[in-house]
Amino acid sequence: MPGRTLIRMLTFASFVTPSFLGATAWIFLAAPHSGWLNRAWVALTGAPRGFLNIYTLAGAVCVIALYSYPYAFAFVSSALELVPSEMERSAELLGANWLRTTWRITLPLVRPAIIAGALMSFLEAIAEFGTPAFLLIPARQQVITTQLYLFFQYPSRPNLAAAYALPLLAVTVSLFLLQQRLLRRGRFTTVTGKGGVRVPFRLGPWRWPVFAICMAPPIFSLILPYTALLATSLSHAWGRGPVPGNLTFAWYHWALVENQGARRAIAHSVSYAAAAATIATALAVCSAYAVSRRLLPGARILGYLAMAPFVVPGIVLAIGFFAAYARPPLVLYGTAWMLIVAFATRFLPIAYAGSESALRSLDLELENAARTLGSGRLRTFGKITIPLLRRSILANWLMVFIPSLRELSSAVFLFTPATAVITNVIFDLSDEGNFEPLSALGIIMMALTFGLVAVAYRLFGGAVFGQRQRA
Amino acid sequence: MTESAPHSDEVMPGGRTLSRRAMLGAGLGIVGQALLGADTGRRPAEGAAAPADEASLYAEAKKEGKVVWWTAHYQLDAAEAVRDAFVAKYPGIEVQFIRQTAQVIYQRLTQNLKAGVRELDVFASTDEAHYTALKKQGVLAAYRPLGLGNLPQAFQNVDPDGAYHVGALGLVIINYHTKLTIPPQKWTDLLDPRWKDQITVGHPGFSGYVGNWVVAMWDKFGWDYFTKLAKNNPKIGRSINDTVTDIVSGERLVGAGSDGTSLDSKSRGNPVDIQFPADDAILIVSPVAVLKDAPHPNAARLLESFYYTKEYSLAMSKTSNYTLRADVPAPSGVPIDRVKWYRNKVERLEKGVPEAIAKWRETFGV
Repeated sequence: MPGRTLIRMLTFASFVTPSFLGATAWIFLAAPHSGWLNRAWVALTGAPRGFLNIYTLAGAVCVIALYSYPYAFAFVSSALELVPSEMERSAELLGANWLRTTWRITLPLVRPAIIAGALMSFLEAIAEFGTPAFLLIPARQQVITTQLYLFFQYPSRPNLAAAYALPLLAVTVSLFLLQQRLLRRGRFTTVTGKGGVRVPFRLGPWRWPVFAICMAPPIFSLILPYTALLATSLSHAWGRGPVPGNLTFAWYHWALVENQGARRAIAHSVSYAAAAATIATALAVCSAYAVSRRLLPGARILGYLAMAPFVVPGIVLAIGFFAAYARPPLVLYGTAWMLIVAFATRFLPIAYAGSESALRSLDLELENAARTLGSGRLRTFGKITIPLLRRSILANWLMVFIPSLRELSSAVFLFTPATAVITNVIFDLSDEGNFEPLSALGIIMMALTFGLVAVAYRLFGGAVFGQRQRA
Repeated sequence: MTESAPHSDEVMPGGRTLSRRAMLGAGLGIVGQALLGADTGRRPAEGAAAPADEASLYAEAKKEGKVVWWTAHYQLDAAEAVRDAFVAKYPGIEVQFIRQTAQVIYQRLTQNLKAGVRELDVFASTDEAHYTALKKQGVLAAYRPLGLGNLPQAFQNVDPDGAYHVGALGLVIINYHTKLTIPPQKWTDLLDPRWKDQITVGHPGFSGYVGNWVVAMWDKFGWDYFTKLAKNNPKIGRSINDTVTDIVSGERLVGAGSDGTSLDSKSRGNPVDIQFPADDAILIVSPVAVLKDAPHPNAARLLESFYYTKEYSLAMSKTSNYTLRADVPAPSGVPIDRVKWYRNKVERLEKGVPEAIAKWRETFGV
């Protein structure tokens, strides 16, 4: 198939795009009367109104699906990489065509990964806050997370919110356990991975249709939304559409120079995300090391603890953090640490999973050699292990930094205006329908993210992208 | 409709039209005048800490260097205009502000107070009930801002103890897309099925203006107004300013919006205009207060006093909001005392807004 690398990169790009930004863009595209796609439809067909309505449950589901599919993609594609071509080739030798081979051999082999990916997407979707807030309040549909948010609004009932969050937690925990079971079962079906060379499949005339299908999600999750965001951020009033006289750079000027709140939020976002990434990566490396080398009794528990935040939806984590750190003895609320610690906790599992697998792939002999030569455990760790892990550490750092930068669901509960981050400002702007400055800020945030990814890609090549698959 | 009778308008001496509720709420009347005199004599107890003249207040404020201001009063660009005017008048003091819906800033303030976080200097919500609640907790500073006398007298003394003062005047009116030749003339017109899928409103759980409006409609027409409105499938945003976005973009045609944001958008060439409803515009008297534990007490007082300067009213006028001083004309062309308005009593808002939010969720599902 043509453009495989392109598809991978685009999928990664939709993975780093926060869905609330996508939801906003889809408001521009598919609001029932004013959405550009609907207007184009009306102009083309003369119909009284367009057929798209983003302010519906279906609309929100579609948007969330567009930004959760990278999880499924990651799981399935990494599983597919382990399927050796020999099995497929033997099927072909026995006379099966590629469709049959795919259906009878390949898909059953990766079935656990498909299910695990689906569950992972589900976990992401059920915890989603931004998109429901933007699309479902106008649609007059309530979901758990928006209800939780309302419990935190005036008149506020944080205790009720905490109680209400528990069923959500129960759902995510049980799904996670289910996923773990499936993955374990999967391990014995998947061929060991020692299989020979993987030969790219020849699709023949099917290439282009398949390519078209693969391009569909990126078109809807990236190309259309980013065009809409960019166009809006450059217009005086988005409702007027791309007409002359509506073009302006004023909103970028507003966000970067004029509005001190927005400027500070950008600085906060970058520094908090960097601090969170540093803390999470350091914790992850140390605990993963302790677990994999069994340095402590009960080290496995440490591993479970590091992975635990994974199943806690951001909004539930935030409610817990608020309950714990907004009153004495430890008051973090109102300080930057509240957000930093929350981000670090929330994304620790990503760093932990990354460090753990990197450590597992590290040959113990290297460490043993150092130990034999008389180096202590700590010295070995510092002089041998860490340098060997360098690439993975940097990749993990980035994989915590990116989601921290775009995190909304926990930030919305934990910030005070003095510690607001970009996502808070975006959320606040959406409150009033200030879509133009919102788009400008969103574009700035994504430019920061993509810029960083590009630098990382330059420095460490594909390792960063490979890492994604464990996220 | 029958319920509106008890709040019928009365003509005040001097030709001002005031509802009885407003009169009571403002603590006016002849008795009120007398109280006002008594009050001013009593108040300086706490105000004494702050310098009583502008120059020395500014000097003290400058030492503090900045002021933190949370406002829900008007749209973002109006808040920016106020900040710019303040900074121009008082260089050397940085204004850190956020503009958010009333319930959101109130919620943040309550969270901060509970956690003992001192961050805010000047609190400017649109829901008067917030202030009575905060006053009861004793977290507001009693202060008589400089130049308060420049306000129309009816609004000079909203709180007899001077814990908060009027910071902005605004109306909830019908706003509409100018492609409508005949907009709805009164609130009950919005119930007409011809507006199905064409109405936009904010959410009382977020916006103080909307909460105020919901209570007013409830008291005037009964809750039935909203069960009927729900049949017209209004689009529900969060801030009252959402309605302007929806109308300008052509997403919806009519809304229950604020005069300031609508006229501001109109002045920028957008296809939106306002209609004063025949069954009363809803007057929102938005208070402003200085926090007792304000980290920048003098700058806070300077900012509150700034509300009554000509510069502030000019910033209001520039952004199409009602001015606080008679010497700066109202941008709507209709002075506030000529508007037929209705105002909720603060005692009604205290209980009414939370109830209205709960009932709203039942009726509209969010």
